[in-house]
Amino acid sequence: MSIQLRGVCKQFGEFAAVENIDLDVPTGTLMALLGPSGCGKTALLRLIAGLEIPDRGEVLFDGQDATLWSVGKRKVGFVFQNYALFRHMTVYENVAFGLKVKRRRERPAAAAIRKKVQDLLDLVQLGWTHDRFPGQLSGGQRQRIALARAMAVDPQVLLLDEPFGALDNQVRHELRRWLRRLHDELHFTSIIVTHDQQEAIEVADTVAVLNRGRIEQTGKPGEIYDLPSSAFVHRFLGQVNQLPVQVRDGRAYLGPLDIGAAAATLEGSGEHFALIRPHEIEIGLPSSNWPGTLLAVRVMGPIVRVDICADGQPLHEPLEAEISRERFDSQGFSVGQRVGVRFRRWQVYPA
Amino acid sequence: MARRFLIGCALLFMALFLAIPLLTVFTQALATGAAAYLAAISEPTALSAIKLTLMVAAISVPLNLVFGVAAAWAIAKFNFRGKSTLITLIDLPFAISPVIAGLTFILLFGATGWFGGFLRAHHIRVVFAVPGIVLATTFVTFPFIARELIPVMQSQGNNDEETALSLGATGWQIFWRVTLPNIRWALLYGVLLCNARAMGEFGAVSVVSGHVRGLTNTMPLHVEILYNDYDYTAAFAVASLLALLALLTLAGKSFLEWRQPELRRTGHARDATTMKRPPRV
Repeated sequence: MSIQLRGVCKQFGEFAAVENIDLDVPTGTLMALLGPSGCGKTALLRLIAGLEIPDRGEVLFDGQDATLWSVGKRKVGFVFQNYALFRHMTVYENVAFGLKVKRRRERPAAAAIRKKVQDLLDLVQLGWTHDRFPGQLSGGQRQRIALARAMAVDPQVLLLDEPFGALDNQVRHELRRWLRRLHDELHFTSIIVTHDQQEAIEVADTVAVLNRGRIEQTGKPGEIYDLPSSAFVHRFLGQVNQLPVQVRDGRAYLGPLDIGAAAATLEGSGEHFALIRPHEIEIGLPSSNWPGTLLAVRVMGPIVRVDICADGQPLHEPLEAEISRERFDSQGFSVGQRVGVRFRRWQVYPA
Repeated sequence: MARRFLIGCALLFMALFLAIPLLTVFTQALATGAAAYLAAISEPTALSAIKLTLMVAAISVPLNLVFGVAAAWAIAKFNFRGKSTLITLIDLPFAISPVIAGLTFILLFGATGWFGGFLRAHHIRVVFAVPGIVLATTFVTFPFIARELIPVMQSQGNNDEETALSLGATGWQIFWRVTLPNIRWALLYGVLLCNARAMGEFGAVSVVSGHVRGLTNTMPLHVEILYNDYDYTAAFAVASLLALLALLTLAGKSFLEWRQPELRRTGHARDATTMKRPPRV
């Protein structure tokens, strides 16, 4: 099932949660709605689920106007961050719930329900939890049960609201990969809301970055990371160093230093700022490049993060650079050493 | 050391204000022998008081059960204009002295009251009759269940209901299968409190009842009359019945909690910690 939003707006009192959003989710894609808290991503998901009705605009399911459809009619599976498992029911009863509440005409026979629930529990690799109560399971297990429960009613669309937000890092990582495999096997249309750029990039086919109720950019994870369309997206998708630059005649100057022809985003002239990711900074000899002093070194497994105070820059705003462990070891850098920095890539935005 | 001191304080307080009075009630009731005790509680006016008390509770508790669930549901799950006013109104019976509440019903339904003429014309007796007692009791006890449910329902949020909705359940199914099981302990607790108060209410009922022995006397009123007649044994005998009813409801609650296995296994018990007694005025 494909989903389209056309000019969707939603106000909560004075607060515009969603402002004039257009979005296309083709059948079978896994889309991530990414943004900081309060950016409207959860509101958008609830609008798609039918848990909220938009003030203006349309929600289309397979091209049909579904704006005023009830939640039940939309056939969406919804998974909450807090799992929302029914605490007084066993795992089996939880998963069977959607089948048991069907009208008698549509309800499968008891044996069919039992088989389907068992299949789903096997699918989420939790067949043995059958008679347990949710309180006896770990967070990751509960979320998988919540997923199985949502899938029991054969939804056309799976909507996940920060599904792994309450789990610790290790479990999150595993569940993300598991979710991606599941999606590839079952070919749902899925939308996952997250504030974690790592999660969005790792799991989704398409990422839509939201800010203040609007979509800043939509694209493949790699595209968005490499070619952010705004400073907001650039900052949100990873660590950045920010440097004030002057733009004259289509070239960017960092103080007296010419850092070369700027990227295509450059318009006009005067005060701008450049954003550079830590791994886009190269460290070499002081003679060749912008000289500076190495302030701190943090070894993080295969990579090394170093703080460098470039000459002429304030001491409390050092540049953060990332280099590989091999390179760090072979060069033998040490704290206090004079080095030269060079920017491999950067992007300039108007101040 | 500090722990022992605190526990000691609590136990002393309990003994002083709970155990000793309770014990006194029972020893006084049985002071002149079991025969006198049985005679006191099987006497016709005592029996009719017991019957009336049970009937009043049987009417007002279900009324407040429905009202309390509806009000708590509305307040916890929806946003609407006048919500804070509604919460304040629910607390009104706590804030008003029961005697004033009783007087209000006299002013409304008494012979010279607003509806007095209408009621007389249709030969309906409210004040100094059973309907007045039911009204007053219902009014005085109506915050108990709603107050008990509101914090629990608010803390549980809407996610369970929304999940059930997305799984295709109807509103009715959601209420019976999801919401009600989620609030059952708070609800039970509220019903027990409401019931205890409905049986024990004195002030408001005293004003509207008219104290007609054998007709409009509830147990607390009967106890007072017996006591004023210097019939201490009978007074304490009936009082001991009231106390026994209270103890039984509490025992019933403990038993139900003990019988529910998932309560112990799944952290349902935290419902019990979110329960707060409503303020008594």
